Amino acid sequence: MTPDLAVSLGSLRLKNPVMSASGTFGYGLEFAPFYDISRLGAIVVKGLSLAPAQGNPPGRIVETASGMLNAIGLQNIGVERFLADVAPRLSDAGATFAANIYGRTIEEYEAVAERLSGLASLAAIEVNASCPNVKEGGMAFGATPEGISLLTGRVRRATGKPLWVKLSPNVADIASIAAAAEDSGADAVSLINTIVGMAVDHRTRRARLANVTGGLSGPAIKPVALRMVWEVCRRVKIPVIGIGGIQTASDALEFLLVGAQAVQVGTANFRNPMACVEILEGIEAFLREERLHDIGDYRGKLLP
Amino acid sequence: MSPSRMRFAAGRIVRNEGHGEIFYRLEASLPEPVEFDPGQFAMVSGWPGNDPLLPRPLAIFRAGQGTKGKGTVEFVYKVVGRGTALLSGLHPGDPLSLTLPLGRGFDLGKDGRRYWLVGGGVGFATVFPAAAMLARRRAEYEMFLGSRTRDQLPPKEWTPGGSAAGRVHRCTEDGTAGSFGRVTDIVKERMAVLTEAEASRLTILACGPREMLKEIARAAASLGAGMQAALENHMACGFGVCWGCVVALREGEKTGYRRVCREGPVFDAREVVW
Ligand SMILES: Cc1cc2nc3c(=O)[nH]c(=O)nc-3n(C[C@H](O)[C@H](O)[C@H](O)COP(=O)(O)OP(=O)(O)OC[C@H]3O[C@@H](n4cnc5c(N)ncnc54)[C@H](O)[C@@H]3O)c2cc1C
Ligand SMILES: Cc1cc2nc3c(=O)[nH]c(=O)nc-3n(C[C@H](O)[C@H](O)[C@H](O)COP(=O)(O)O)c2cc1C
Ligand code: FES
Repeated sequence: MTPDLAVSLGSLRLKNPVMSASGTFGYGLEFAPFYDISRLGAIVVKGLSLAPAQGNPPGRIVETASGMLNAIGLQNIGVERFLADVAPRLSDAGATFAANIYGRTIEEYEAVAERLSGLASLAAIEVNASCPNVKEGGMAFGATPEGISLLTGRVRRATGKPLWVKLSPNVADIASIAAAAEDSGADAVSLINTIVGMAVDHRTRRARLANVTGGLSGPAIKPVALRMVWEVCRRVKIPVIGIGGIQTASDALEFLLVGAQAVQVGTANFRNPMACVEILEGIEAFLREERLHDIGDYRGKLLP
Repeated sequence: MSPSRMRFAAGRIVRNEGHGEIFYRLEASLPEPVEFDPGQFAMVSGWPGNDPLLPRPLAIFRAGQGTKGKGTVEFVYKVVGRGTALLSGLHPGDPLSLTLPLGRGFDLGKDGRRYWLVGGGVGFATVFPAAAMLARRRAEYEMFLGSRTRDQLPPKEWTPGGSAAGRVHRCTEDGTAGSFGRVTDIVKERMAVLTEAEASRLTILACGPREMLKEIARAAASLGAGMQAALENHMACGFGVCWGCVVALREGEKTGYRRVCREGPVFDAREVVW
């Protein structure tokens, strides 16, 4: 018997818990040559802003031990081009997709969310309240429970779409931030975004990123991400989407085990463009092996 | 021939041998053959574990048919850091992960043009496939290869083109092989004696250190010669989804960031903000 992988994120039903993470999957269509992108639970597209954005100057990436730092600065095509050129093609491909959004001000977040609300095929809006690489990229809102309440509440009133709030790990108490998002109307929280880091070259005596600091992602951050997801799952009732360093099916299962309803796969897509589907197949194989008929029988069952 | 659709392939190493002190030539078998445009590349990894995490970009040096409907692909690389050092330690039979073919290669579209191919250092690995194609078409071309010293020039038997090969000029900065001097200077000296008509018929295809590309681009622009430059940058994905590899390009009055892995690696040198 094929195990049932479907999961619910509030009112939204996904065929399986494996999604791509924003900023690591382009606009989704780029992966169509590799596999049928409609197989994923959902695709989360690159962070969209009201107007197209240029992003930061190069060098934007640097590899670190089992991870990488990025300071892309949210280069994107803007919400209008996304609506005109990308969304119809994602629908044609049969993909379930969510839009990650950011603004420099709350008004911009509201405007992007409003603009996207009319898009029937859009499954959800994920608010990036946590980008470390642009000064006004939400980090100010994501840093305190008050900021998150304000942002979440305002975007909530701007859209009827399922609303996910993506949290920054660069805070002292992530559970209280998640609770603030829940209280202000979020349908789910997703975490973690990248951890602020830095790399320098001891010979040239320069920072390796033009932006000096950047966001750390990849296997290096998984233990931090797992701990934060576990903490947040114990605190909030809304679904939690686990993100951070997931490379394999076992990594994904660990996040489900501590209570995540779904996962997003980011940096792993770079080395292996098939990562998301391999993880999906691996989860299914594991459930079969364990003779579990429903992923719900495994999720959140961490033993004491 | 148009390049194959990009794919992620589980390859297997057939050969991975050192040449001289610094170059390795790697051949891998692929489940299916690939076709590529000269200048296109692959993202390559094969070492176990997550460190280094990211695959490394390498120009496709050759690709062909293997046995039983399989394909083969070859690369030439220089060991410069951890990733290439780990690659050099892999053996025949070891698995190799490949995403390929990637990027936009050289545009060899126009008949009646004359080509100069310039390879600085390991940049020859990117221009040799262009030479092979031009030789097949019996097009008119010459090649300029430069390096610091003798062992850093490619072995002569690697030169593509057979009997249809264009002339090859070799030079070293220390004079240990070929003519004495930088390839940049040698190309510029040759350019200086071209007539206006000759320059306007010339297209330079170049890959090498950025300084070399920049100087040749400036000279080519002032003479009205065309130039296509294959650029490098640090890459995470190699197929356009991370926006990590951008360079500044001129677009009319403004400049914009374009991805080396997708809009490049080969760019019209006049558009690059050097
Ligand atoms: C499209 C493309 C095609 C390439 N083709 C070839 C090829 O055919 N043969 C070949 O030998 N090399 C090629 N390169 C360069 C090759 O990718 C790098 O040398 C390699 O990634 C270095 O990895 P490493 O782990 O050994 O070195 P690292 O430890 O990562 O770095 C060693 C040094 O090299 C520099 N470096 C690393 N990666 C790059 C890069 N991509 N561009 C510029 N500098 C870099 C680092 O800053 C550092 O100074 C190509 C690069 C690109 C972008
Ligand atoms: C190159 C890059 C770009 C990213 N861009 C975004 C973005 O636009 N919006 C966002 O919310 N998160 C962005 N992220 C964060 C990822 O979605 C994810 O939260 C993070 O990388 C941790 O997961 P990972 O370790 O699986 O990559 C980006 C990450 C990377 C590596
Ligand atoms: S390397 Fe990822 S966009 Fe070019």
